[in-house]
Parts: sequence; structure tokens; C-alpha cells
Amino acid sequence: MQTHALLNVDRKLLAPFFDRVPELFDKYHNREEEKPDVYEELLYKIHRPLSSEMLDMIDDWMGLEHRSLNQDQELMLRLFLLAIRYPDTLLLESLDDVITNDVRRISAYLHFTSHTYTIWDQDTRSGLKKLGFDIPDTTNADPFIYGAYVGTIELIKDLAPFTCFLEHDVPRQRLFQAAIAQYGREA
Amino acid sequence: MSKTDVVEAYTPNFEGWVREFHEWQTRIGFDPAWLGDYRFEIRFDWDSAGKTIEFGDFEGMPKWSRRMQIPQQNIRDAIINMISVQGDTEFASVEQQNHLLATAPTEYDRKSALRIMCEEQRHGWQMAYLLCTYFGEQGVREAAKLLERNAQDGTRLLGSFNAPIDHWLDFFCFTHFIDRDGKYQLKMLSTSSFQPLSASMGPMLKEESFHLGTGANGLRRIVKAGVIPVSFLQKYINKWVSTGLDLFGTDESTSAQWAYVYGVKGRYDERESEQEADREHLNEASRGLYFDELKAEMVRISKGRKEGEPELYIPSDKFNRGIGKYSSEMYTVTGEEFDGSPDEYQAYLAEVLPSDEDERKLMEEYMAPGVEWIQYREWKG
Repeated sequence: MQTHALLNVDRKLLAPFFDRVPELFDKYHNREEEKPDVYEELLYKIHRPLSSEMLDMIDDWMGLEHRSLNQDQELMLRLFLLAIRYPDTLLLESLDDVITNDVRRISAYLHFTSHTYTIWDQDTRSGLKKLGFDIPDTTNADPFIYGAYVGTIELIKDLAPFTCFLEHDVPRQRLFQAAIAQYGREA
Repeated sequence: MSKTDVVEAYTPNFEGWVREFHEWQTRIGFDPAWLGDYRFEIRFDWDSAGKTIEFGDFEGMPKWSRRMQIPQQNIRDAIINMISVQGDTEFASVEQQNHLLATAPTEYDRKSALRIMCEEQRHGWQMAYLLCTYFGEQGVREAAKLLERNAQDGTRLLGSFNAPIDHWLDFFCFTHFIDRDGKYQLKMLSTSSFQPLSASMGPMLKEESFHLGTGANGLRRIVKAGVIPVSFLQKYINKWVSTGLDLFGTDESTSAQWAYVYGVKGRYDERESEQEADREHLNEASRGLYFDELKAEMVRISKGRKEGEPELYIPSDKFNRGIGKYSSEMYTVTGEEFDGSPDEYQAYLAEVLPSDEDERKLMEEYMAPGVEWIQYREWKG
């Protein structure tokens, strides 16, 4: 869902960020804590048909305990990940609360199965705020809030000049999310 | 910030050209159904283009936005020539590559190649639009020629765009080495004094980065899979690097110098560089930056090789050159003068470049059906 009309974009706020995207991405993505090598390996290792082990690998990279879901919920989650298509986020409402109670976790699953969905992160939220996009805070995967978050990063990507588009193995959504997160961290 | 304007209504000249374009697609066997919901659009980023001429003898004056503002006919001709060459390469690459879609190693590669071909066609549209919209009858004639020349017939303007791309290893080398040259050309035109040309480059460069990434990642994935020996891959790198270097044109080029004087085509780092341009060695300067970039990229590609495999490297810029001061000279891949007769040099070239036997081995052994010669990756939208 496109949540911000172009008219609401503050160009002056975006300009200094766009000047620094490659440097900001590099600082964030290549930090040891971000385990960039593992992230880049997961881009290859996560694929259809999705298995529980693949989702475990994402949990491990995120530093989360493995999810504890019953068999039906696990199946529901995997079907959801296979079925959802950007820009839809309303499909999140079809899931049990226990699956959606951690927006970081489910956004990471979504990111590795469909790159357009970006990983939820508080630094990124701060970065978005600095750029003039105030995304409400949430811990559970609210489809409207998460939809606004993803849609806003897509919009920023669309507005960015060509100098931002690094030649890198990571998807462009990760490139921008990581750069925004670093920008937010500096706030 | 980049604000892309999409042109909504076309001139009759360009609408006529679009009809010819659809015939071209049919002629080369590109099924329009492959495009899915992709739409060719004419996109301009006027902000990035700027309003003032940035270099050359007209520096500081307003950029030209219409043909009649361009002060001399020879400058108009130079601009038309640059747009024509750029457009020619875009359509040529689709002619060279579209047959590969049927043999893609994975769905990811098929979709990546298809996206590249769609975007190359869009870039060709953009160049044809400039010709048809801004340059009257002369432009319409040049735009028509973009669809008349053909890579399969060997009539495209630049040599490497007539060379066959027979398999996916050549495709990845092409996108890594030749599309990278394309990135340099686009960036050099992104500061052009002719504003519709410079404003075309921002959206094209955004798309081009995906093409280069596809090439670099493809080569990395091949190295990682470890099926094709590194020493074998090296021969293909030797083949493509000299081609890429040649695309920058002759040394001490007067046409590059005039293009700079007119403000039509700048240096690759025109906006970043604090040094005065060396107008007599413009092609050499861009070629040098490209060569350095190739070396850095090859370190990254080579990292994934299996233990015990030799490191991949970029051959010397003197090796196997067809243009410039090293053209037709005998140099080794490491840049030393070859100590031997011309016949011995031919035998040396047969060792360090892919031979017919290598091509056979590649297709029948390394890339044979069922062999996982490239690391698997899924297309995830």
C-alpha cells in the first residue's frame, strides 16, 4: 500500500540522506553484529519449498529463539509466506496472534521469502522519522503499520537518484533499509 | 533528490517509430507476452540533469533543451551520433541475448535476463524518443536505423555488439564487463549540455546497476559452484576484458575532446573530480577508472573459489587490444612484451583465450543438462 503521497515528501530532508546512502549502507550492513556473510548466504539458502529449518536459520541470524508454534500454526505460517505478494500486508490478519506477535521475526521471514518486504527495525523507524515519515511503533505485526513501513521504504527507493544504487548482492530494499537504519542510529 | 517525470503523450513521429519497434520485436523473436505487465516508459530526471552547462567551452550557460538552442550544426550532429550509438547498443544486446532465455540455468536467471532485456529495450525507446522528438527528420531517420541494423547480421555500430553470445557464461561476462562500460557511457552523458539527454541518464543508470549486479553475481555464483575450473573461467575473462577496454575508444581521441569542448559528454567522475580535465586523454582517463573497477570487482568474485583453485585476475590492459596504442601489439596477459614470432603469439593466444574445443567442453561437459554449474538462487520479486 502506498501510504505517502508524493506531495507529502519533504525533499529537503531526503537530500542529505541520499548523498550518503552508499556510506550509510556500508556502515550498517558490514558491522560484525549484522553478520553480513550470513545474511548474504541466507539469500541463497532460503527458497521454496520452505522448511522449518530454513525459518530456524532466519531466527538464528536475527538472534531470536526459535519460534514455538504447533504443527497447524507452522503450516499456516509457511503457506502465508508462500501466498503473500507485495504490496499486500492485510494477509497478516489471517494468521494466529501467536505468529504475528513479533513484527521483527515475521518481517524477517517475509524479507527472505519476498525481498520487497523489509525487516522491521527500531533504528530504521528512527531513520524514517528523521526523513519526515513518522511510522507508529508496534511490537506485533499490525498490517497497516507494517504496510506503511514497507511502502515508505519503497517510496524512498523510488525517489532516490542513481548514485544511491550500489552494485551489491543484497536486494535494493535491504540496501535502503540498512542505510535508513544507520541514519536513524545517528539521530 | 530524484523526481522522475514519465512522458504521457508521444509525438506522431515517435508513435510511428513504436509501430516499427513492434515489428522489430517479432523479427528478432522476442515475444511481447514475455513482458508481462512491464510497460515501456519515457522517463526524465530533470533535477539530476541540472540547468547549467557544467564543463567545456559553454560552461556556465543554460543547458540546451531544444534543438534550435544548440549553437552549431556540428554539435547537433555530435549529439545525434551519441544518442544513436547508445540506442544501437541497447537493441543490439537484446538481439544477442534473447535466445538464451530458453536455456536459463534457473528461473532466477531467466527472470533476471528478461528484466535486463526489457530495460535495455526501454533504454532504446528513450534514445529513439529523443531522436524523434528533438531532431526532426534527421532524428526520425536515425531512430529508424536503430531497428534496421542487426547484431545477427553484424551491422551494429560497435564490434562487441555484433559478437555472438552463445551461452550463459558469455552472458554473465557480457553483463559484467560490457554493461559496466555502458554504465560509464551513461554516467559520462549524465552531465551533458543537451538537457533531455542528461535527464534521460538518471533513470537509465538506476536500471543499469541491476544489469551489472546480475553479471557480477552470476560470475560469483559460478565460481562458488566450483564446477567450471577457475583456470577455464580465466580464459573467458581474458576474452571479455580487452573487448570492454576497447569500447572506450581510441587514445588521444579528438572526437572525445570535441564532445568535451561542446559539453556534450563529460568525464566519468565529472562532478566529483576536482582536477582540470586532460582534454587530450579523456578516453584513457575513463578507461583507467573502468580498469581499476574491474580489478576490485574481480577480487570479490574470486573470493568464493574453492580451496586450491588459483585466483582470478584481470589481464593487462595491453593484452589483445583492438584499439589504441597497444592495438595489434604482442603482449601477454600479464603485460609483458611477447618474446616470439607472430605465429608463436597466435599459439599463445589460443592457450589463454577460449578455443573451439573449450566451447565444446563448456557446453557438453560443464554446462550439460543436470550439472549444477551455478549456485542456485530463487527469484523473490
